[in-house]
Amino acid sequence: MTLLEVKNVSMIFGGLTAVKDFNLTLSKGEIVALIGPNGAGKTTAFNMITGVYKPSIGQISFKGNDITGCRPDLITKQGIARTFQNIRLFKDLTVLDNVLIANHLHLKSNFLEATLKLPRYRREEKEIREKSLGLLEKVGLVNAQSEKASSLPYGMQRRLEIARALATNPEVLLLDEPAAGMNPKETDDLTEFIYQIRDEFQLSIFMIEHHMQVVMGISDRITVFDHGVTIAEGTPYEIQNNQKVIEAYLGVAEDYA
Amino acid sequence: MMNLSTFMQHLANGISLGSLYALVAIGYTMVYGTLRLINFAHGDVFMMTTYFAFYGISMFMLPWYVSFILAIILTAALGMLLEKGAYRPLRDAPKISIMISAIGASFLLENLATVIFGGRPKAFPSVKLLMDSINIGSVSIQRLTFVIPIVTIVFLIGLLYLINHTKTGMAMRAVAKDYETAGIMGVNVNMTISQTFALGSALAAVGGIMWGLKFPQIAPLMGVMPGLKAFIAAVIGGIGNIKGAVIGGFILGIGEIMIVAFFPSLSGYRDAFAFIFLIVILLFKPTGITGEKIAEKV
Amino acid sequence: MKQKKTLLTVISIIVLFIGVYFADQNLDAYKTRILNLCAIYVVLGLSMNLINGFTGLFSLGHAGFMAVGAYTTAILTMPDAVKGQNFFMVPMMKPLDTMHMPFFFALLIGGILAGVVGYLIGAPALRLRGDYLAIATLGFAEIIRVIFTNMQTITNGALGLKGIPESSNLWWTFGVAVVTVLFIGSLINSSYGRAFKAIREDEIAAESMGISLFKHKVLAFTIGAFFAGIGGGLLGNLLGTIDPLMFRFFLTFNILLIIILGGMGSITGTIISAFIITIAGEALRFLDESITIGNFVIPGISGMRMVVFSALLMIVVLFFNHGIMGTNEFTWDKLFNKFGRKPLVKGGNKQ
Repeated sequence: MTLLEVKNVSMIFGGLTAVKDFNLTLSKGEIVALIGPNGAGKTTAFNMITGVYKPSIGQISFKGNDITGCRPDLITKQGIARTFQNIRLFKDLTVLDNVLIANHLHLKSNFLEATLKLPRYRREEKEIREKSLGLLEKVGLVNAQSEKASSLPYGMQRRLEIARALATNPEVLLLDEPAAGMNPKETDDLTEFIYQIRDEFQLSIFMIEHHMQVVMGISDRITVFDHGVTIAEGTPYEIQNNQKVIEAYLGVAEDYA
Repeated sequence: MMNLSTFMQHLANGISLGSLYALVAIGYTMVYGTLRLINFAHGDVFMMTTYFAFYGISMFMLPWYVSFILAIILTAALGMLLEKGAYRPLRDAPKISIMISAIGASFLLENLATVIFGGRPKAFPSVKLLMDSINIGSVSIQRLTFVIPIVTIVFLIGLLYLINHTKTGMAMRAVAKDYETAGIMGVNVNMTISQTFALGSALAAVGGIMWGLKFPQIAPLMGVMPGLKAFIAAVIGGIGNIKGAVIGGFILGIGEIMIVAFFPSLSGYRDAFAFIFLIVILLFKPTGITGEKIAEKV
Repeated sequence: MKQKKTLLTVISIIVLFIGVYFADQNLDAYKTRILNLCAIYVVLGLSMNLINGFTGLFSLGHAGFMAVGAYTTAILTMPDAVKGQNFFMVPMMKPLDTMHMPFFFALLIGGILAGVVGYLIGAPALRLRGDYLAIATLGFAEIIRVIFTNMQTITNGALGLKGIPESSNLWWTFGVAVVTVLFIGSLINSSYGRAFKAIREDEIAAESMGISLFKHKVLAFTIGAFFAGIGGGLLGNLLGTIDPLMFRFFLTFNILLIIILGGMGSITGTIISAFIITIAGEALRFLDESITIGNFVIPGISGMRMVVFSALLMIVVLFFNHGIMGTNEFTWDKLFNKFGRKPLVKGGNKQ
């Protein structure tokens, strides 16, 4: 079953075409990776799916609903969550608060119920806390729950960001370079971790990643971007042997050396 | 009904008020272009000039032109001091801090002026040469009304030449684009920012002196409203853009005079127009008439 | 454990009101007035901190909301005869000239109207960010002031209102202050408060977590405006006179000073700082008396005190960026820890 479908989407900033004719289908349980040199427009593609940018041309639909250019919070509400390339945690808040915040979108109580701590809110708050602590348990951060998010080591911050995204109850998870800055050990754990969350939360995952070992090991399919254009699509095996991809990476164009 | 000569008189007034807004607006726009900061104290710098000129003439008995030039130099120095004391230490601090510092500096100047110069308004000395009226047909207009726009245009041409054709100007443009990179490229960032403040304050000083001549009553809080309106002019023109600030100044000056002239019953709301205009611009075209949209990087 | 903390809070409030009782009985009018102002500034400081400190919206429109609250409360509590004396230039609009109600309801309506105005301003203005928002809210506050100056049949224009019943006593001001602290404290520690803080920390991330920026910004802004209106109402009915000039940017500046000194995003800090600033403001009154500097003899002008205040604001911003409390709060847990016990609950429970 196709969950997320991106059809002929382009993003043009002024005169610059950052992404051109991007197509993607993501089915339930799939892991698809988007790779490409720096500046190829990968994050722009993410930003269009999550509503941060409104695509100039094309259509994005999620579970059959058109979500093109929807507000980011509404897209998250429908079931698409993301992480950020440059880690955007709520730095001065605690680890637990970071995850609790991501539950807010499903809160039914209004602000008066919340302020006056009426029964419905108390019940909801209790559920939210239990769920969040459970998530922190899974990512191994339960002992750090009252630390400031910014005090965590880098790899743990990435995990916290994933936990936070999971707290929004997504069906599709978009990971923007989850292995960036991780050491080899952390990278190995990451692959395992992504499988684990996919199975446990029944997720479909679309990820941007530079780390080839992770990408080749984990992806069902791979899309390759270069200068905003999709230059290849296929299974990891096909991509590894694709001449265009090799050129894009190893560089006829020396500006990516 | 309004006849043509009255209309011309209002128009002339509008243009000279607009020129004054324009001169002050340039300072806002230059500082915003460089530091992305609303220099809240700019209107108070403008106020200080009038006192400098006032004391130059009334206490030190200087000829008016000497006193005016000294006032401009002192104001430029004040602008540099303001930047050094209130803004430079916070250059990398959160935006909200530097803005609060600007508000603090504004109040500090106002209150210092109250303490030092007294809270009661003073009469700005008049310069006979500029005050005489000239008659055009049936219309009698003060010479000053013409002098103000001419002085404004002269200074504007000078400023544009400086910014576009000199090394200092090039450094200013580079710092405004990206001061970190400009620094790496060997531009003395601190000096350039100082110069920007000096220049912006000097232009405000020119505006302040002419304001004093036109509305010859000076007081510690006199800079607040012209300051806010000049800022609004800068926003209307597209903040960061010098020509835009000038256009904005004229739009606001002429608009304000004309609305009151055509709808006298609304004169009580005169000060609200500028704000209403500001809010409309901010909501529908926040980058102003000349501005371009900048997408935020995620 | 939780019940114990609630009990402690209740006891503290009771102790506070016993204090209020004794203050009410024993203090002279001048000291009572200062205490009243302290409590009012707690309300005002918290209302501004909710918007600026907790939600991270740089709003400078507080004086406008206060004006709405102050005028509404004053008009709804003034006796008919006093209204007649006030409106000698132009008669007051009907039916306002004969309308009055108990202080509580007048105050509440004042707060609600301020909240409505906050909503009407916030809904368009909160699309703006940072300094643009600051200048737009400042503009709106000025517009409110200009409108009040011109609506003579309702506000008596520039003449202002005199002889407003001085209903704000210590019971009212401290009562309202306590309610405000509890309400805003509870709001901040709820899921909504976390959403506000998330917006403050990183709007893009907050939005990506499904938080509607618009809805929550407007919510914080409206609640802040409501309490600003209440604070304004208390202030008007404490001073007995109000006029449009009172509600200039200067008033907003005073409250800004309180939240900067106390710590943006700290309730405890705001409370402490409201008392410090108000009392210091009175204590420094001598500065406004006659001073001789060299040849200058400066007569008693209100200026020197404000020089100190503006310098203070700058010093805090330049050198003590976080104010007294930063974003920290007083909690019972922290108090127990101070007395050398082990942490009661390890983590999780901030309040």
